[in-house]
Amino acid sequence: MSVNPVAKLGAALLLSLCLILTIDWVSAAVALGLELLLFLALRPAVSGFWRRTAAVWIAAPLTAVTIALYGQPSGTVYAEFLFARVSEGSVTLAIATFLRVLAIGLPAVVLFVTIDPTELADGLAQRVHLPVRFVLGALAGMRLVGLFLDDWKYLALARRARGVADRGRVRRLGGQAFALLVLSIRRGSALATAMEARGFGSSTPRSWARDSPWRAREWAALGTGLAVGLTAIAAAIAAGTWNFIVG
Amino acid sequence: MSASTTIPTSRFTWRVVDIVVASVVGVASGLLFVVWNIASVPVTDPLKALLPGLQALGGGFWLFAGPLTALIVRKPGAALFGELIAAVVSALVGNQWGALTLLSGAVQGLGAEIVFAAFLYTNWRLGVALLAGAGAGLAMAITDLIVWYPGSDTLFVTVYTISGVVGGALIAGLLSWLAVRGLARTGALSRFAAGREIATRV
Repeated sequence: MSVNPVAKLGAALLLSLCLILTIDWVSAAVALGLELLLFLALRPAVSGFWRRTAAVWIAAPLTAVTIALYGQPSGTVYAEFLFARVSEGSVTLAIATFLRVLAIGLPAVVLFVTIDPTELADGLAQRVHLPVRFVLGALAGMRLVGLFLDDWKYLALARRARGVADRGRVRRLGGQAFALLVLSIRRGSALATAMEARGFGSSTPRSWARDSPWRAREWAALGTGLAVGLTAIAAAIAAGTWNFIVG
Repeated sequence: MSASTTIPTSRFTWRVVDIVVASVVGVASGLLFVVWNIASVPVTDPLKALLPGLQALGGGFWLFAGPLTALIVRKPGAALFGELIAAVVSALVGNQWGALTLLSGAVQGLGAEIVFAAFLYTNWRLGVALLAGAGAGLAMAITDLIVWYPGSDTLFVTVYTISGVVGGALIAGLLSWLAVRGLARTGALSRFAAGREIATRV
């Protein structure tokens, strides 16, 4: 079942914005639990789930370590060295941070994997009514990604053949990245001429080749994201662990 | 031909070439962000997790899209647009920050944008580029500390903010300025004021 990419983006944003309001383990754990239930119930097709979410699984414990060392100290102090102070309070905050990073990061990966940039641009222009020229210009830039990857390969081959920068990996990468930037700007300028020739910049009303549908399921997606976030907040308030991020 | 098809031009209106090149620069920066995301997680993050806030110095690598785009196309909103496009690319590929990548991108872009706006979009020299990078760094520090490190103590907050500003000025400000100067020398920016100003005749 395909959902408008704008709804996926909106659901992930609503959920995340609810979760960042508080730093406590109850809200994060409740959100994570509900997300797991939804994941098991809906079984979204995500190829390579573990590879794609690897960054989240690594970032969560590392952020937690930082907070355990440098979080607001309170209660018993377990260890102290240099500027770091591991205390009862900072460990509690670290656990909350760990769960929160997972609860924010995991659903976003699952929701974003299936987003097609073209459909997203259609939705942003037709449904959110963002400035059309900018949305379509950005999409045109996005479409060049495949070419960039080819350019990168040819640049490497050409530089190898010419014997340029055979040694020094960092310098070679830097030089090649700059060459790619030059190529991409030249390509962009040429593309702009072509788009302008076809009337891209004109102010005549635009018609759309693809319709971007907005049905009940899009509202349902947004509602689900918000509901999970609000349930987490309600659970935290009920459990008395609500801990607003500022102050 | 009727004259009605001509579009009124002002220094502040975005031409098609401005939009497309800004998008291309944003997308290319976004791809570099993805490379940093992947490279930074297993390599430097375990070490950085132990630092009292100094990790924000390297955050500058996620900030250059805004100043770079603005220095190339020199239009109002360019810093915000470039950083936002880069954030969208980074988020769609998938990273550890999820949907909040877009929030970070918007705030960091605004941080640089405000500096360029304060100079009424007329000054594009090194000093302003450094300030814009610092502005993006400050914006990054504020969002990161509120969103990701809300439980941190005063020392961490102070060190993180200063590191963010310094890293932003050096990496996002200085490096972007140098890159634009280099780009102009190659002639790739011949359709932009930035290129016509510096390009040397060969």
